[in-house]
Amino acid sequence: MVAPAKQDALLAQMRKGTLQYCVLALLADEERYGFDLVRSLAETDGMVTSEGTIYPLLSRLRRDGLVETTWRESTSGPPRRYYRLTADGRGALDAFRGEWGRFRDAVDHFVERKAG
Amino acid sequence: MSTTPDKLVERYLKHLEVELDDLPRDRRREIVDEIEGHIAEARAGLEHETEADVRNILEGLGDPADIAEDARERFEVRPPPAAQPFKPGWMEVAALILLLVGGLLIPIFGWIIGVVLLWFSNAWNVRDKIIGTVFVPGGLVLPIGLAVFSSGVSGGTCGPVISGSGRAITAAPCSYDATSTNVFGIVAVIALIVVPIVTTAYLAYRLRQQPSAAAIA
Repeated sequence: MVAPAKQDALLAQMRKGTLQYCVLALLADEERYGFDLVRSLAETDGMVTSEGTIYPLLSRLRRDGLVETTWRESTSGPPRRYYRLTADGRGALDAFRGEWGRFRDAVDHFVERKAG
Repeated sequence: MSTTPDKLVERYLKHLEVELDDLPRDRRREIVDEIEGHIAEARAGLEHETEADVRNILEGLGDPADIAEDARERFEVRPPPAAQPFKPGWMEVAALILLLVGGLLIPIFGWIIGVVLLWFSNAWNVRDKIIGTVFVPGGLVLPIGLAVFSSGVSGGTCGPVISGSGRAITAAPCSYDATSTNVFGIVAVIALIVVPIVTTAYLAYRLRQQPSAAAIA
């Protein structure tokens, strides 16, 4: 039996590890600015506990060359930094999609059988 | 519009900046700028901004300490070594005592041991250590100062008086009368007694104040 605190930490780690692929997926079809990205992520319950943590992640993705940014003028205020996928980012996302599908199916296979 | 929301935002960003201190500068700038932009976007979307709205925005972003912890993990920056509270040990206490009166207990050597302990300790940063070493090494100078004072009274020295470590501690005037020597001597002795106490008090204060920040350097 895993202690509840440990289980929370594990779930937080899983969330943290998969969050970057959720961000890459959100950028797969269109470029977005930070606030817009955060809003989309926050719409889904349980994905982001502290919205501010998205920004270190975006900075890291940029430095790893998975996303690139452009400043664009905004009609409603100061310019915004827009993020979009690079070829490497797309590659990382596609690779994760394949792996994740297998992983999710495998976990479902065991977890759901036991529950049902 | 009330200025309180602006103050809340300012305080939040300042707090964030401090928490992100151990990140490389450009990364810290980028993150703080983006979060500042986020807050501005969120506030611009409000029709009638209230203080509660701004508090909700900041709460949604999360505690700056949590954001910083996440950022350190993302950038594989080690957390500050003294994130766990630093406890001054025997070394710090001995260093302070020896710096203050070490030169009286064991002439000169007591002070040197104090300086060595000061530099070996993780409790102070380099600036504090230099202050502790250079700014009136009381344990060393006090006995010399007393010697200078007494020799000054009993006939006088001429020219700079050099301490054992080669530092000029005072330049005694060549021509003087007994009164000016006495005044000079009294001022010097007071300085040599008071300043080491102040220095030691400062170092003791630094032990208690922000120990984790001091230990990084």
